[in-house]
Amino acid sequence: MSTTRDYGRGPYAREQDLYPAQPGLYPADYESGVYPDSGVYPDDALEAWGDDREPAADAQPLRRRPGTIDEWMDGRAKFGGTGFKRKTAALIVLGAWGFLPLFFMLPSLFTFNTNTIGNSVDDTLGTGAMMNLFLCLLITPAVTLTGQRWFIPLRRWYGIMFACCGIGDALGAAFFDDFAGNPFAKLVEHTFTLIGFLMVLLAIPLFITSNNWAQRKMGRYWKRLQRLTYVIWGLLFFHLATLEGFGFERGSNGSGFAGDGDPIFHQRLYEYCAASLFLLTLRLPPVKRWIVARQEEGRSRLVYLAVAPIFALFVFSFIFIINELIFKGTHSFVENPSSE
Amino acid sequence: MSESYAGRGYAERGYGRGDEKSTRAGGAILAAISTLSAILVLLGLYYATGTTERHKAAMAAAGCEPNLMNVNVGCTTVQTIVSQYNSVTNPAIQQLNADVAAYTAAETHNLGAAEMAVRAEVATAGQLVKGLGQIPFAFFAAPQAKVTILAIQARAKLMTEQARSSSLAQLRSFNSRIDAAGTTIQTDLKLLRTDVEHHPTASQEPSGND
Repeated sequence: MSTTRDYGRGPYAREQDLYPAQPGLYPADYESGVYPDSGVYPDDALEAWGDDREPAADAQPLRRRPGTIDEWMDGRAKFGGTGFKRKTAALIVLGAWGFLPLFFMLPSLFTFNTNTIGNSVDDTLGTGAMMNLFLCLLITPAVTLTGQRWFIPLRRWYGIMFACCGIGDALGAAFFDDFAGNPFAKLVEHTFTLIGFLMVLLAIPLFITSNNWAQRKMGRYWKRLQRLTYVIWGLLFFHLATLEGFGFERGSNGSGFAGDGDPIFHQRLYEYCAASLFLLTLRLPPVKRWIVARQEEGRSRLVYLAVAPIFALFVFSFIFIINELIFKGTHSFVENPSSE
Repeated sequence: MSESYAGRGYAERGYGRGDEKSTRAGGAILAAISTLSAILVLLGLYYATGTTERHKAAMAAAGCEPNLMNVNVGCTTVQTIVSQYNSVTNPAIQQLNADVAAYTAAETHNLGAAEMAVRAEVATAGQLVKGLGQIPFAFFAAPQAKVTILAIQARAKLMTEQARSSSLAQLRSFNSRIDAAGTTIQTDLKLLRTDVEHHPTASQEPSGND
């Protein structure tokens, strides 16, 4: 049996270029110097090939071709006499979405408006955390589908924003919710709050280690730790199931408000399931292999055609997550929190 | 096998046949999930066509104020507005009363304390105006709300001038005008509260609004 180190020196050494490490959800930015120029990947990179020689479930083929968006993104653009890297601008624009939930809460934080924080922080930051988690989880399937890698740094950013929103949500629930008891009791006295609290506890080490220094220090264990994100993803199902149930109702006891004409669309558990279907399917090793095989045959259109309905379902559900965030968020921003 | 990515990547390592099988399985999985997703998307689009009717029916069933909100915003009942109104006015009025008491205690002998009380009252009035401005008043209560807000602002303006007084006598010279403005506000707030608690009849509701 070959050891991991053998791969680095032996006949599979070249394969490192084909199958570079795909760290967890807050991966190294390949271009930020985490992986040294020598091409020697850290141990966790080699772990992408296990002893059974199967590619790791989340291994990503590196297919940088000339004339691709990746190459174009590496170029520079000019605006008003100032030059900037296209990739940097694109990452800032796309990454701004991740900060939106926290931005919505800023006025109430600055004015310490406990009414807004108590009424709205759960919805604004809770929905924001869900959005950021899905955006974070979207990067890997996007790389699989497009073969582009320029947006990979967004995964770390969305992950960090997810943790910030989740921690903020928990703090808001602990100190400003109407539940009885002390702050800790408020977090554990209901099943859905307990699960949410557990998610936040898991997010904290991910948040703390979401930097290059921690990644270097932890080596292969860093990647394993980051895979806790999948546990959080699973726990979110139970959090939403215990929060809103499996059905859909209107009014105070359901996902929709009393006058809601779209209670099914506003049921967050359904949104979760619809969005997760795409994210999960494109992580299944057989599906990834099928996609890669078709792409290498030059049949990328077939891939896009096959994936289009699942992606449409993802977009369909994600629109309502964004809708919820903007609705609740704008009310929070003007410090007139929604009572929904 | 062609010089494909799959060939170099998998087949050379002895995974050619197994991988082909696995690849087929991947295609089958993808086809099944894709079909399911397509059905769900079509069902969702079909369901979405009935949004407006369902929204109207749900709003009517829940007793929501039909003229206040659009399809994306929640149900606002009379109780909701009354609750919002109380949450804005009750603490503000309580604070204003405390500020007035502080002013009354200081107006005869302590210019600094009296001016501070006046400034505090102006600040509280500002918060009250801001709070009232954020309440989604019904169409029949909105004019009275505007009148009330203007009255509060007028009194606050007067008090801002009062806070600039250089003597106790000058300070007290504003009292009668400020008291009169206060009486107007009290009347306006009473009228506004009546409007807020008012349930419109069907004939009073404006047509064409969801």
